[in-house]
Amino acid sequence: MAAWDLSVKVEDLGPDAPPVTISVASDLHVGGVILKLVEKTQMQRNWSDHALWWDQKQRWLLRTAWTLEKYGIHADARLLFMPQHKPLKLGLPSGKTVMLKACFSNPVFQTVMGICRMLNIRHPEELSLLRPVEEKKKKKDKDMTEEIYDLTEVPLSSVSRPCLYNGMPAHFADSEQMEGVYKMLSVTQPPPAPEVIAKQYRPASVVDKSHIHGRWLDSSRCLMQQGIQENDRLWLRFKYYSFYDIEPKYDVVRLTQLYEQARWAILLEDIDCTEEEMMLFGALQYHINKVALSEPQMMSSNAALDDLESALQSLEVKMEGDSSSASDLLENMTAPELNDYLKIFRPKRLTLKGYKQYWFKFQDTSISYFKSKEESIGEPIQQINLKGCEVAPDVNVAAQKFLIRLLIPAPEGMNEVYLRCENEQQYAQWMAGCRLASKGKSLADSSFQSEIQSIRSFLAMQKTNSGSSNNSAASDESINTHSLVSPRYHKKYKPKQLTPRILDAYQNVAQLSLTDALMRFLQIWQALPDFGLSYVVVRFKGSRKDEVLGIAPNRLIRIDLGVGDVVKTWRYNNMKQWNVNWDIKQMAIEFEGNVNIAFGCVTADCKIVHEFIGGYIFMSTRSREKSDTLNEELFHKLTGGHEAL
Amino acid sequence: MDDIDAMFSDLLGEMDLLTQSLGQETEPPEPLPSTGQEINFSVGFTGLNASIQDLEDNDLDALMADLVADLSETEKKLEAEIQGLNAPPSSSSDLPPPPKGLGVQPASSITSPPSPGNNRSSSVTTPSSSTSSPLPLPQSSKPTMEEIEAQMKADKIKLALEKLKEAKVKKLVVKVVMNDGSSKTLMVDERQTVREVLDNLFEKTHCDCNVDWSLCETNHELQLERTFEDHENLVEPLLAWTRDSENKVLFQERKDKFEVFKNPQNFYLWKKDKKTLKDMKDKDKELLVQENFCGTSIIVPDLEGVLHLKEDGKKSWKQRLFQLRASGIYYVPKGKTKSSRDLICFVQFDNVNVYYGKDVKNRYKAPTDFCFVLKHPQIQKESQYIKYLCCDDAWTMNLWVTGIRIAKYGASLHENFKTAERKAAVSAAVWTNRSTPSSSSPSTPSPTIRAKTATQANGHAPKPQPGPPHQGIGNLPAPPPLNEILPPPPPEPVLPPPPPSLASKPPLSNFPPPPLSMDGLPPPPPPPPMDNFSEDPPDFLPPPPPPTSYSSLPPPPAPAPAANFGGNINKSLPPPPPNPEFLPPPPPDPVFVASGAPPPPPPPPPPAAVSAPRPAAQQKKMPPAPPKRTTPTLQGGGGGGGDFMSELMSAMRKRTDQ
Repeated sequence: MAAWDLSVKVEDLGPDAPPVTISVASDLHVGGVILKLVEKTQMQRNWSDHALWWDQKQRWLLRTAWTLEKYGIHADARLLFMPQHKPLKLGLPSGKTVMLKACFSNPVFQTVMGICRMLNIRHPEELSLLRPVEEKKKKKDKDMTEEIYDLTEVPLSSVSRPCLYNGMPAHFADSEQMEGVYKMLSVTQPPPAPEVIAKQYRPASVVDKSHIHGRWLDSSRCLMQQGIQENDRLWLRFKYYSFYDIEPKYDVVRLTQLYEQARWAILLEDIDCTEEEMMLFGALQYHINKVALSEPQMMSSNAALDDLESALQSLEVKMEGDSSSASDLLENMTAPELNDYLKIFRPKRLTLKGYKQYWFKFQDTSISYFKSKEESIGEPIQQINLKGCEVAPDVNVAAQKFLIRLLIPAPEGMNEVYLRCENEQQYAQWMAGCRLASKGKSLADSSFQSEIQSIRSFLAMQKTNSGSSNNSAASDESINTHSLVSPRYHKKYKPKQLTPRILDAYQNVAQLSLTDALMRFLQIWQALPDFGLSYVVVRFKGSRKDEVLGIAPNRLIRIDLGVGDVVKTWRYNNMKQWNVNWDIKQMAIEFEGNVNIAFGCVTADCKIVHEFIGGYIFMSTRSREKSDTLNEELFHKLTGGHEAL
Repeated sequence: MDDIDAMFSDLLGEMDLLTQSLGQETEPPEPLPSTGQEINFSVGFTGLNASIQDLEDNDLDALMADLVADLSETEKKLEAEIQGLNAPPSSSSDLPPPPKGLGVQPASSITSPPSPGNNRSSSVTTPSSSTSSPLPLPQSSKPTMEEIEAQMKADKIKLALEKLKEAKVKKLVVKVVMNDGSSKTLMVDERQTVREVLDNLFEKTHCDCNVDWSLCETNHELQLERTFEDHENLVEPLLAWTRDSENKVLFQERKDKFEVFKNPQNFYLWKKDKKTLKDMKDKDKELLVQENFCGTSIIVPDLEGVLHLKEDGKKSWKQRLFQLRASGIYYVPKGKTKSSRDLICFVQFDNVNVYYGKDVKNRYKAPTDFCFVLKHPQIQKESQYIKYLCCDDAWTMNLWVTGIRIAKYGASLHENFKTAERKAAVSAAVWTNRSTPSSSSPSTPSPTIRAKTATQANGHAPKPQPGPPHQGIGNLPAPPPLNEILPPPPPEPVLPPPPPSLASKPPLSNFPPPPLSMDGLPPPPPPPPMDNFSEDPPDFLPPPPPPTSYSSLPPPPAPAPAANFGGNINKSLPPPPPNPEFLPPPPPDPVFVASGAPPPPPPPPPPAAVSAPRPAAQQKKMPPAPPKRTTPTLQGGGGGGGDFMSELMSAMRKRTDQ
């Protein structure tokens, strides 16, 4: 066969180097071409990751056994010889950026698998890559050099096995710097400064949100084919809101990043929630941050002995000691109590005008009060059982106002009682007691001390927030509460006003461990009505206006843009088939009962919609029995469209 | 010792009184004494529901049984702990406690089985194994006086602690109104869940145990009603009732309780047209339950609608657009959109329960009678803090109430359903066979007592079990019913059978320990349980025992049990009539009696008893098998029960073997 000249640009020679020309015949296979190229360049290096990229056809020549003829390559082909893995800047859900080598030659689905393997995230099928929203560079932002965590040095081969070393994958254990990267991946980030939240792009409407979803990369094509260049920036995000088999033990990074994505979705109002829910999210963020900082000590605080148990234990010890008298024993058994002078006020009773001072005793779950300390042996004036009551703080540190508002249930209704404390210390103790008692726990409960601690730290927050310009010793505990809620509430409330509200929500989560708190956050997020919806603006066949299609893990919904109402819902399990007409970019879906819908996609390529639907159907096929191996083939079948064939 | 005793009595306080009174009262078979006893007991609980005086005799009997069971349970636990503490010498140490009058021992007898691991096939061997168990005793019996004393001390301390704990547990006497208008009285302690109480009631009635059976609370004054959730503790809400309240606890079938798991589409896809919902395939229903209850997060049905609201004690009803979310109920303020951020929180569920309101049209001029109510569980009277919400139709009301329950209880609901389903499946298989024992409870007060006494006697004897107990202990906790029930009543004096018990107590020192244990273990323990069960079933919680005892007989284990039966009947149960009442399958008893009868009579003298039972067992081994099999079939009408029964049998055997 006749030989002809093929010129190939070799990336490693530098951008300005002239193409290397080799003499080939049409029956030469690609492997031979590469061999000749390498010989010609006379460079000593590992070429194993390199491959040929055919520029005009936008395709890789990965089948080295195929001949040039089979590929249809002639002398005019512009070929590029370069590595398949190239560095990529990857924005993580947490907002941090890592630089790592990603595969530019395999379908994005596999690229993501590789990335997740490196980052130690299980179930990569739930994630994908999308083009970032362009940030408007206002005033050039004083050339804000953001920190980039570099993972490009990790040899690709070492990533293949996620052998855990010390709880983290071995490839992170190489150096301190790498350990630092792993820490960034696996530990939740501190709450962002309020300005940072305010500065971020926030979708203002469903249509805005739908534009974001038009940015997902096509997972059946490779990065090169989608115009992604070396060192480009992409976002790694959870795309399918169907989180399978979360196992905190193995999913440290996954759980952390998922939490970060959820947190930002809340902070940026990507998903709507009510004020009460926002406060709870805020409280959880606060708690998670706090626990994450003190993680090591937190591990062993789960043995919650109830009072009787501990009393009995001490009794037992005593008895076996055999030297103590019975009265001693009894003394030992008495549960802890609080005694102090406090002021009480009952808003509804006419008999007590204003606050009156009494000697208060807090025992078990009840408060009793007496005229004075001396009379505390006799019958109390009143005893109030706090079990099931509502406790609300009314505190102003600057004004030294420490009020506990109690709403105490009784057969006739709820009774309002205010207790006024003298100082912070007293307030923290009594408030903690009230909180526990309202949940039926006594002062002997193991959480009493930590409850006191958290109340004090919230008081401290109020102090620093209240403006008396920052005392330099701003501990980790003092967080601007604006960091915990979306900008909407920055306008609505001052930090000082937010603090008690978040504290209020905080009492329900204060005892959670880090993992439990993360899970709780995710649960509440997932329980929001709009959770899991990805939006696309579509035009239904026969309709004259744009509408929004919401794609959820289990259903499609049709939203009327005018009213914002859900007009119709279709569930996937009723779906018989769906087709895409790639030419006119229209999707047609058939449901059971002769329901047919068809629509064209406006804000996203219909491949994206197709992939979403196929992807969710794929997600629903995962089940525990099928082990951990990912059925890639099925995924491609369901999402690939014509490429799959 | 004296010191300890003093301390002991100090600490025991009420409990001691209790046990004493129990002992005294049980002696006379008549029901009357028991009243006094209950009063003593009532120190621990508030008799909200039914003042004890109002109770009928049979109620008292039932209560008695409950109390006894309760006590014995504690003791059993205690016993177990003691055993755990004591090293080998335990055998000797065990004895001291009995004098106290506590029925601790019986439990241990059951526990001791050396050959629990064996299956039914091994049943024949059981007697022999039991004999072998005593062997270790000789060694243990040698402990020095100090050791023994120390041991005794330790035991007493344990006992005291246990009693203290027990004394702190609140108990309520609850009168449950059945759906036929009759009522049953039972004792519930604060640790019991509604599920446990339901199981108890299944025992006492012959209902079909389907998942719809529920306990409901009615508030007479407010005309409210709600179904307790199975995971709730029953005592707590009852404590909120006022002293004079006419509230009731009802035992009835409530279709709405688990409807959401049977027809999830009606709640999660309620917007769809009726026909689609009706034609829903089971597979799709399952999928819906899975989606909403089995994920990381529980999904609350998407509910939104205009409801009529009456709150703040106002008389008027106003309309609002409400929305249900996992975090609470919200409403859309006037002039605002439905966007989440504009919603106003109406109520969160931490401190409120949801009730059905009755007769609201009349009482409050409500627009409709389909009303649900949100209030703090402790509010019992008219109050501005009660919120009334009126729906346009019953279905909407049902949607909301169920939705609120899902939001409030989350995964617990699903757990409850699964448990109830399992329960229903088991009972469908087994309980149908066992026809009527429970309902007849009222008439047989005196027999019960006797039975108990008999058992007790046996119970004491078994105590001696030395080494094996440790293992047994582990197993025991579950079975409690049998042993527990019996122990407390010290009625020994009344009945002739007591000898064994007496013998066991004093003999300890006198008798060679091994023989005692041997004697006591094999023959006596089995009989008591059987007797008790047959008579007691209605009163006690432990459902399994009755069937077990029967079932156990038929298969292989025959020897020991049969002997016991005969023995019991001869000894303690002079009145054949009682048995028939309780035991649906009267035929079996006579049969057994006949076979077993000869050996048992000699129970009084411990040694004699020992010898007697064994031979009987051996003889029976071969022949008895056939009769047993036949008996089960007779009893069992239903086919399904077989497996379950056999399981029970094997469990029983373990016990009897010991």
